[in-house]
Amino acid sequence: MAVVNFSVNGQAVQLDADPSTPLLWALRDHLGLTGTKYGCGIAQCGACTVHLNGAATRSCIIPLSAVAGMEVVTIEGLAGEQDHVLQTLWYEMNVPQCGYCQTGIIMAAADLLRRKPDPSDADIDNAITNLCRCGTYPRVRAAIHRAAAQLAGGAA
Amino acid sequence: MNASRDTPVDSSRRRFLINASVLAGGLALGIRAERSDAAQSTPWAPDTASGRELSAWIEITPEDAVIIRVPTPEIGNGAMTQAAMNVTEELACDWSKVRVEFCSMHRDFMEGGVYNRGFLPFFGGHGTNKDRLAYALQLGASARERLKAAAAQRWGVPVADVTAQDSVITHSASGRTLSYGALAADAASITLDAEPALKPQSEWTFLTKASPAKLHIPPLVRGEAVYGIDVQVPGMVHAALRQCPVHGGKLKSYKPEVVLDMPGVRAVVVVDPAKTRGTPVESQATWGFATNQVQSGVAVIADHYWQAKTALEALPVEWDLGAGVNWKDTAMIYAEGEALLDADEAKVLRESGDVNAVTGGRVVEHTYSTPYCENAMIEPLSGTAIVSAGGAEVWCPTQDMLQAYWVAVDETGLKPETVRMHQTYVGGRFGRSTQGDDVRMVVAVAKEYPGVPVKTIWSREDCFEQGRYRTPIFARYRAQLGEDGYPMAVRSRASFIGTHPIYQLPLGYDDQPYFTSGIIPNVHISRNNYPVSVMNGAYRGPCYNTHAFTVETFIDECAVAAGIDPLAYRLHLMSRWDEAWSDCLRVAAEKIGWGRKLPRGEGLGIAISSWPSAAMRGTGTVVCSAAHVAISRAGAIEVKRVDVAFDCGRVANADAVRSQIEGATLFGMNMTLNEQLTIRDGVTEQRNFDSYPMLRLRDPLPDIHVHFEALSGAERIDIIGEAPVGPIGPAIGNAIFQATGKRLRSTPFRNHDLSWS
Ligand code: FES
Ligand code: FES
Repeated sequence: MAVVNFSVNGQAVQLDADPSTPLLWALRDHLGLTGTKYGCGIAQCGACTVHLNGAATRSCIIPLSAVAGMEVVTIEGLAGEQDHVLQTLWYEMNVPQCGYCQTGIIMAAADLLRRKPDPSDADIDNAITNLCRCGTYPRVRAAIHRAAAQLAGGAA
Repeated sequence: MNASRDTPVDSSRRRFLINASVLAGGLALGIRAERSDAAQSTPWAPDTASGRELSAWIEITPEDAVIIRVPTPEIGNGAMTQAAMNVTEELACDWSKVRVEFCSMHRDFMEGGVYNRGFLPFFGGHGTNKDRLAYALQLGASARERLKAAAAQRWGVPVADVTAQDSVITHSASGRTLSYGALAADAASITLDAEPALKPQSEWTFLTKASPAKLHIPPLVRGEAVYGIDVQVPGMVHAALRQCPVHGGKLKSYKPEVVLDMPGVRAVVVVDPAKTRGTPVESQATWGFATNQVQSGVAVIADHYWQAKTALEALPVEWDLGAGVNWKDTAMIYAEGEALLDADEAKVLRESGDVNAVTGGRVVEHTYSTPYCENAMIEPLSGTAIVSAGGAEVWCPTQDMLQAYWVAVDETGLKPETVRMHQTYVGGRFGRSTQGDDVRMVVAVAKEYPGVPVKTIWSREDCFEQGRYRTPIFARYRAQLGEDGYPMAVRSRASFIGTHPIYQLPLGYDDQPYFTSGIIPNVHISRNNYPVSVMNGAYRGPCYNTHAFTVETFIDECAVAAGIDPLAYRLHLMSRWDEAWSDCLRVAAEKIGWGRKLPRGEGLGIAISSWPSAAMRGTGTVVCSAAHVAISRAGAIEVKRVDVAFDCGRVANADAVRSQIEGATLFGMNMTLNEQLTIRDGVTEQRNFDSYPMLRLRDPLPDIHVHFEALSGAERIDIIGEAPVGPIGPAIGNAIFQATGKRLRSTPFRNHDLSWS
């Protein structure tokens, strides 16, 4: 056990846990933030995606020791007062099916939109490498494009 | 024998009402701002009736929230939302005020089956079942009339003078209005003299008209929707589980002392089939218990999951692997299955005319096959349970609540009145959680650490290793074509490989109209099965997903042999059957541009199939998929476009249906192009997503066009989740033949060399 200091969704956290614990399980088990999902544990599926110092990162392979002093944002902290545009469109466009993979996809998509406000299809392909067994990919792509249009202030 | 560091208290006085008090650690720390309605985040209903219900299904709060309690789990197909829509149509409530909960199984038992209505009521795939739909409509109508009566009473006016709409009762003569919330308490005590008549379908204003998104999407996209793996209850500990890697093997020895002092570890427990106590009363389980027996295993219980998993990896375990280890590889298993195609004996599924009397004609004879596949849902198996001498409480992501409930009763041996079960959201599953072996294991682990809530999580590797896989099937067909090119006789046999007989389903095989309509005068179809230790189970459209491939590839081969266009060939063979089939073929073909000239290496293919009752006219859902593929010189497959036409009667929620067809098309495409599980020495070789390729956004995905023009408009609203998984694979295969001249008779297609020059 060792105390690791970092921040989660803007709040300082001091966690006394085995420093080899993956960030994913620290968030889920120790902090009760279960919106970040476990799917594979080997950085294959993206269900565990969080923002680490602003960048989309698969939290299942990041040991707690590596996040000391860093800022973590989880799906629970993505929105401000209002839902993130992606969250709103995900509802409006009925994107999720079972939904289990979707918080990871939204976190990856939010990072993409921040870096590339008007992403091409190829940008989406490269950024959203998450697995969705239900096959929501066409709607995910359409919703990201519409989000980009809305953020640009244009018509959706 | 279990080993533990401390002895848990088995207190039967412990109150079994942890229920809705889910912990939110992040909330306490202020790193999570809970934004969503709690009822939609933790969607299970209370176990006891509230005082102001209009029925066990409907409660309206003074604040006007309409809570609808439904028996259908939500696995991604929208069945939970659909069930609430069904009530809403007649209740005439404001949809934005509707919240939906999963009904309490405990309450269903205690109140004599208040939620048990229609076919497979507690199953995740049947939101529009006819009987249940009628029942839900009636509940809505009844509640609406009682709300009207309450308003009329309060105003002292005839009930005929008031109307109900959007959660408001209006007396138009005086302009007075009252909200449902203001009337609910009064309405709850009103009994109607007679049940109101239902509107005819033609007067529906919501069902078949509106396409609302699933009700749980807001909490879902905020990370607040609680899936099985997300359940947190006070005092909960975590278990990491290992079962014998060879199905059917047994625990021989283990050394708990090696791990008991590791951080957080509380106990090492053994799960053993001999410890199942058996239900004390007659079971009402949907599927019984044969397919969900406990497998021998060992679990480490710790304060946190990562501690449990780390200790489990360090735990020395020896297995008696059993006979299954003798399966050296998958080819050895498949050879046994395929050999049964030639066995003297087989169970006859369908026979008409006399195939033996038909002589001559051009013979088309081929064998087709599909392999083991894993359901590979992204949420791993999991569940939480607390078991003690006085009762049990279970939280689980099951696809069938009734099944799960009775499995929990059977495993604990407790009286059902002391067993409570809470349905969480379900991450995919595609059949994996219908039988309840997962729930049984969760309960079996918790039973060994009594009095404490234990959450058990399968690692992804365990999910692959301990699957209940898609049943591998070999099928041989032999047709004799007449002068006109159409079959005079078809003889076929399928060989199913697996232990579980309920997953040797002929749906989509002998029941297709080719064989039932009489257009082929002589038919003989039979089946065999080869039991092996590797366990099979339900995988989206069980067995149907193979039959659609074998039947529709074979029919295509007959058309090619006859020199007749495959679309025209099918239309002729459907000419004595429901027009819906021909309509689906025509619409899909027209939309893809059937018959147009394409560059070399490109082709069009078409296929059609129906689930689950093709032999009965005007039932089930028929789907036709047409695919446009391009094969690169190097042999890479690109499915450019897919057009889908279907008939399920009518659709209750068009966008929900569209979404299911899109998803099922990609599921069926992935199944056909990519999926294959192999066995070595009795153990699955693929252990995680890195060795089990699945479609991603960057893969060449088709533009999927879903067409509603072939809908017959018949009064049924049939299920849509399974049927579209069938025809997409053979449509792609048939298109590949048109593009390259190469006929693919087994999946996955990635195993075949399609390069050309
Ligand atoms: S759980 Fe981290 S990528 Fe799958
Ligand atoms: S929505 Fe089910 S896995 Fe993506």
